[in-house]
Amino acid sequence: MNKLTGTIVHIESSEHMSMVDVDVKGDIFSSIVLETPETASYLKVGRAVTLMFKETEVSIGKNLSGQISLRNRFGAVIRSIEASGILAKVLLDYQSVQIVSVISARSAVKLNLKKGDSVEWLVKTNEVSLLTEKG
Amino acid sequence: MMHTSQGQEWLDVDLKVEKGGFSTFFGESGAGKTTLLRIVAGLTDPAEGYIEVDGEVWFDSKRKINLPVQQRKVGFVFQDYSLFPNMTVRENIRYALADKNQENIIDGWLAAMDLKGLEHERPQKISGGQKQRVALVRALVSSPKILLLDEPLSALDVNLRLKLQDEILKIYQKTKITTILVSHDLSEVFKLSQRVLVLEQGKIVKSGQPHEVFSNQNLSGKFKFVGTIVDIQKDAILSIITVQIGNNLTKVVATDEELKDLKVGDKVVVASKAFNPLLMKYDGR
Repeated sequence: MNKLTGTIVHIESSEHMSMVDVDVKGDIFSSIVLETPETASYLKVGRAVTLMFKETEVSIGKNLSGQISLRNRFGAVIRSIEASGILAKVLLDYQSVQIVSVISARSAVKLNLKKGDSVEWLVKTNEVSLLTEKG
Repeated sequence: MMHTSQGQEWLDVDLKVEKGGFSTFFGESGAGKTTLLRIVAGLTDPAEGYIEVDGEVWFDSKRKINLPVQQRKVGFVFQDYSLFPNMTVRENIRYALADKNQENIIDGWLAAMDLKGLEHERPQKISGGQKQRVALVRALVSSPKILLLDEPLSALDVNLRLKLQDEILKIYQKTKITTILVSHDLSEVFKLSQRVLVLEQGKIVKSGQPHEVFSNQNLSGKFKFVGTIVDIQKDAILSIITVQIGNNLTKVVATDEELKDLKVGDKVVVASKAFNPLLMKYDGR
């Protein structure tokens, strides 16, 4: 599981859901949750939260151009690649934090991913969970 | 003091149940739910305490008041129905009738609960769902102040359970009788109760409306279960973890990092965003 810590900076809610923006060292991550500030006490601007998302939900892009609906896309450098069978595990250095992405070995070959490459990693807002300290 | 699978444990609670409300005692077995219900009904005596219902003292250890079961005006529905085997459906119900001159009350309930053709049958001749309907009617015709339902539907299969939940809800809405349900079925709690009191090891640890009590947890994942790891298979970069959740086996993939502190037998939280699961109508196959 990938984990990043940050601070809630903005909350936009509909009747039952909220889009929560979280500041992680200056980058803004978004997460959609099925809660609102009325139903969940942790949904407060200024609250420290941990973002969690599965390795298999992290996509990798190289020289991306055009438009894409994904809001969470950030630059990183590849630390290492381990390909085995049909999958490849890519370790990324993102702001000195390790982000792990598991993609297909085919994609790793197609994108010609190598150690030291500058890439973008992407995760959909509805794949990001928020974890808070109890209370 | 109550006897549980973990030995003896103190049941120590202080609670109020709203008149005319539908409340549920929720918790794992051994938490004290049934004991609490039996204490209200007068079937079990607490070591000490005080019970007042609608201005009438039912139990007060200090003043040595202990109203016998018959005078407490409770309707009790047990998990195992507890019908008299040597009496017909009608006789079982008549036995509890508050005013024996009001046989027409029985007829009304028999019709409302779809039991009209069965009134002269003995309990062993009717199905589990029908038995539980009879037990419900029997509890209701005694004109109780409180209806106590001790996991009344847990012995029934899912479809029947859903149907009887609807009927219990209908009965409650019609009679507005103060009802206390014991359940460990979350969907039942959400469907039926206005208020839920969570019991753990003889204590009430949480209470409120079901959505308040069960939603405000610290992980935002809504698709979330606690299970036990029963198997771990490594497959190159990912491992496949089999987790038993209730009676179901599920499989989850995990990386080595996620697995680092986990082994077979460990309890784990399996969580996903509510956006991921697919929903399809279940046709029983």
